Amino acid sequence: MVRPYLDCNSHALRPYLAAVRSTLTAALTLENFASQVVERHNKPEVEAQSSREVLLNPLVISRNENERVLIEPSVNSVRLSIKIKQADEIERALCAKFMRFMMVRAENFIVLRRKPVPGYDISFLITNSHTETMLKHKIVDFIIQFMEDVDREISEMKLSLNARARVVAETYLTVFG
Amino acid sequence: MSANFRKIDIDQYDEDTLLETELYDLDPRDPATVLADSKQKQSAVRSALAKGDIGSALVTVLDGAPYGPNVEEAKALTLQTLLLILNSTKSTDVPALLRALPAEAHDTLMKYLYKGMAMPGTGEVSGSVLLSWHEKLTEVAGTGCIVRVMTDRRTV
Repeated sequence: MVRPYLDCNSHALRPYLAAVRSTLTAALTLENFASQVVERHNKPEVEAQSSREVLLNPLVISRNENERVLIEPSVNSVRLSIKIKQADEIERALCAKFMRFMMVRAENFIVLRRKPVPGYDISFLITNSHTETMLKHKIVDFIIQFMEDVDREISEMKLSLNARARVVAETYLTVFG
Repeated sequence: MSANFRKIDIDQYDEDTLLETELYDLDPRDPATVLADSKQKQSAVRSALAKGDIGSALVTVLDGAPYGPNVEEAKALTLQTLLLILNSTKSTDVPALLRALPAEAHDTLMKYLYKGMAMPGTGEVSGSVLLSWHEKLTEVAGTGCIVRVMTDRRTV
């Protein structure tokens, strides 16, 4: 069941997040599945890509050309990649720095992948052990919360960067004034 | 000595290897017939839309949708036809239309919604239209519909 998303401030964002929420909920039906190739190994099949039969169809949810989510399900793992909105050079630079900041600390986020999938800004890898040790709906909530916050965070950083640049420029130019 | 031989995928020569074609039954129709079929459906849909009969237009386009390899042209045509219907439907009519559809049509429609969203930069595809259809379809058909799209190998 899709829960209505009432606490969301932006109206246009709501159907996008609702679609991600329902698709991710559908994809998070994972089970323990040992490797078919190597004995006594247990790898996330979406990363190993060793057999076609354990991989499911990847799905893309897009809001526009610049904002989309790729969900790649498999029998024991789901990979979710996010392309974050980047309107100009500043946002592009801020996004790259911010995502790098988080990805070098990936173990603190547990489900974060250390490298994004090509064409996307950040990726999450959720495996069956995550869904066994954590509550599934809380994982979904975390991802949705992340997507909401990251846009806000980047636009806030852009504002403070511009404000700071203005102050610096004014202080510098008073010498000549 | 070159180490390139290590990169050879020896599993592909195994006789037990699972091939893409073994995952699902192929469409018994031949590609030319499928293409002619989807062209005929497109004109049927256009005339139904002119009469304002969106329900029957949806049923026409979703019934026997092309799948599998070698029918890319027919798939693109069917997607175009479907987007025409989606764009010309008032959002208040959508839930009633969806409830009238059979369960298989729900799954096929969901496949096309994801296909539409996966195509970047196509001018006529409006993200918000597809997203609102997706939301309403999930309300009617549930999360199971999305699971069936992920597991069905007969991609549209």
